[in-house]
Amino acid sequence: MDFEPKIITFLCTWCSYTGADTAGIARLKTPANVRAIRVPCSGRVAPEIIMRTFDQGADGVLVLGCHIGECHYDSGNHRTAKRIPILRSLMTFTGLEAERLRLDWVSASEGERFSRIVNEFTDTVKQLGPIRWRVENSYQPYTSQAYTAGNTPIIPGLLTKTTRMTDQISELNPQITANIQSAARELLDSGQVTCIIGYEIGTHGRTRPAFVHSPEETERLVWNQDCTHNLTTYLNDKLTTGSNGGTRQPIGIVVKPCDSRSINVHLAENRYNRDDLHVIAVSCNGIRQGAGTTAPTLSTLTTYQERCLSCSQSEPAVYDTYIEQPRGIDNITIEPKGVDSQTAQLDSLSPQERMDFWLGQFDRCIRCYACRQVCPSCDCPTCLYERDDSLWVGLGIGINEKRTFHLGRAFHLAGRCVECNECERVCPVGIPISLINRKLAQEMENIFDHSAGEHPHPPPLVTILGGQEHLP
Amino acid sequence: MIYITQSALNDWLNQIAQQRILIAPVAEGSSMTYRQVSDSSEITGGFDRPDMGIKGAFLPATETLFTIQSGNGSYTISDNVPADEQVIFGVRPCDSRGMLALDALFIETEPVDIHYARRRQNSVIIGLACSTMGEYCFCTNLGSSPTDNQGADLFLTKSGSGYWLDNITEKGRSLLGTYAIQQSEPAHSRPPEIEHSANASLPDLEKWPPLFADEYWEAVGERCLSCRICAYVCPTCRCFDIRDETLPTAEDGAKYERIRCWDSCLGESYSQVAGGHNPRVAKGDRLRNRMYCKFYYFPQQHGPIACTGCGRCVEACPVNIDVTEVLQHVLEATL
Repeated sequence: MDFEPKIITFLCTWCSYTGADTAGIARLKTPANVRAIRVPCSGRVAPEIIMRTFDQGADGVLVLGCHIGECHYDSGNHRTAKRIPILRSLMTFTGLEAERLRLDWVSASEGERFSRIVNEFTDTVKQLGPIRWRVENSYQPYTSQAYTAGNTPIIPGLLTKTTRMTDQISELNPQITANIQSAARELLDSGQVTCIIGYEIGTHGRTRPAFVHSPEETERLVWNQDCTHNLTTYLNDKLTTGSNGGTRQPIGIVVKPCDSRSINVHLAENRYNRDDLHVIAVSCNGIRQGAGTTAPTLSTLTTYQERCLSCSQSEPAVYDTYIEQPRGIDNITIEPKGVDSQTAQLDSLSPQERMDFWLGQFDRCIRCYACRQVCPSCDCPTCLYERDDSLWVGLGIGINEKRTFHLGRAFHLAGRCVECNECERVCPVGIPISLINRKLAQEMENIFDHSAGEHPHPPPLVTILGGQEHLP
Repeated sequence: MIYITQSALNDWLNQIAQQRILIAPVAEGSSMTYRQVSDSSEITGGFDRPDMGIKGAFLPATETLFTIQSGNGSYTISDNVPADEQVIFGVRPCDSRGMLALDALFIETEPVDIHYARRRQNSVIIGLACSTMGEYCFCTNLGSSPTDNQGADLFLTKSGSGYWLDNITEKGRSLLGTYAIQQSEPAHSRPPEIEHSANASLPDLEKWPPLFADEYWEAVGERCLSCRICAYVCPTCRCFDIRDETLPTAEDGAKYERIRCWDSCLGESYSQVAGGHNPRVAKGDRLRNRMYCKFYYFPQQHGPIACTGCGRCVEACPVNIDVTEVLQHVLEATL
């Protein structure tokens, strides 16, 4: 028996649904594989809906809307035009065949066009064969099933990140430490801020976030090569009267130049008032690999984090006080992003291999949500994937649910992720989340010339088309 | 107590793996965890404490409790009580002792949890003594030690190129009866046991109630991210959530499953009640609850403390919230 794919088609009620009617009236043939779902606008077809459709076993998803410029809601289809290429890129990167998701435009009078697109799409999906996206026995360890990618990385060396020895050991930087302490003391003394978020040395020699509320306490603040945490993640609690009981009082915060971009992301989203925040930026000499989770050891040489080797951000994007130091890392040529070669490596694989790779990775996930909680850009009061009434993901800690969470989160970060890699640092089971985030950042750069956090501008996925995009 | 060589142990494990589910520590990427193995060669030797404990073998991250199939006006409910016999190899003392805390709740307290109890009944735990204390370990402060065999059915102590094998329980004896293991002449004498220091750093129960309103919790909570790493890597954290989920089905009618999966009091939605009120709304409240649960509520209600000193939460916490630091504060507090 021939393979008959299940195809879900989302039709905008104004143009494409009427277009389908037109095709019917003209007695044009459309395959029976197509299940039509009528939506008020193609902009209503959120990426979560499409991901859920694939999760539930669809072999192909076709989204049809009004031509650009003809949207009955003016710019609804602009959102669709921007989102779907990004979603396709994300799902392709994790193992879906790109052809299984298609976006096109059909107006009310274009019955013939509707029929042609639907037939074309059905043939394409038929040729691809049954989809392999949803994993049966979601709650069983993935590695014990047919796929065995989890144990050994498919690409040898893919997960071995390149590192470079630092010339210095992560001991306290006395000069910067003193400068931070005096700036903090002054701000607290004058009453300009009620709290300074900085770094202190915790237990086991680990550096950790510190909250300083009085001038006397500022002696706890330190600066060293272990200040890896992106402290701006705490600003949502501190500066908004959120569900965590935060109160709005002016705050001071210590940031590295890379972290300062998160503040721009926040400002673009009107999360808080810029006046409530005093930014103490510190020029950075590179952060030690293993910072925050291990203690620096004097007996062994330490290494820079990979992201620091390719960091070209010497100046903070936002600051009120700037504490400069000679940039030791300048001695090292800025390298092309190591993570770029890894995403390219994954791109060169077959969809099947990519999916095996990613399922092997996601399988270890325990859904502890640490990646989300630590993320300065993840700020929904209740995560879409954790709502009690969530329609987009099951409650279980199974492979399908884990993948949906990770991909959904990655999509929500498209154009908003400043690549601080905190998610990857905190992951207790070592999932290379930065690869997905980097892939989408590349897409945002290629298509929209957008780099998150450079300016306090809204991310491309929430704005209308401007004609400057390089859409595929 | 008998002495066995590494190769005798491998042969024995291979024999077991052919007929039962054998779960053992394996390396996966940069992380180490317990997985089902089909051959002893898959097992990682010379490991420290794996990143995840063995809790998941008894209380899986997610399990289907039963499924419901509807159609033709009737419903069929199929129970999903596990029946597989499993053997867990290479369990560190902190993990095997953690099982005793879980037993206290799931088996020794009514109602008995049938899923957990059945898995417990069908499992043999082969413990393995640690040769040293890891950087984050503090089991000796909680009255245990790297050579503590509580909770294990069989217990191995590495000695030179072989192991000393202790038979602890009837279950262990019966496993040795079913699968014979080859003994050898001991090549080495047995390493000395590490002394237990009886509850050296554990605050008395009375210490806890007066500290409930301590400002300390808010201060630590400021740093907390409200993620669930500490609870999910913990060998004794056992909270779960239950939900009915729909399943795709090819048959007429509909199919549902009732699942239970890990949950944690650190999550904001954990304590939220109908109507939206949340009695533990601040991060510090939730963190305090976790500490009180481990060292006050649980021992009060079920006997053992719900901490084995494995130090996983200390190691994995992204912002260095350290349970030993908290215990130190409680010990020293003079409220």
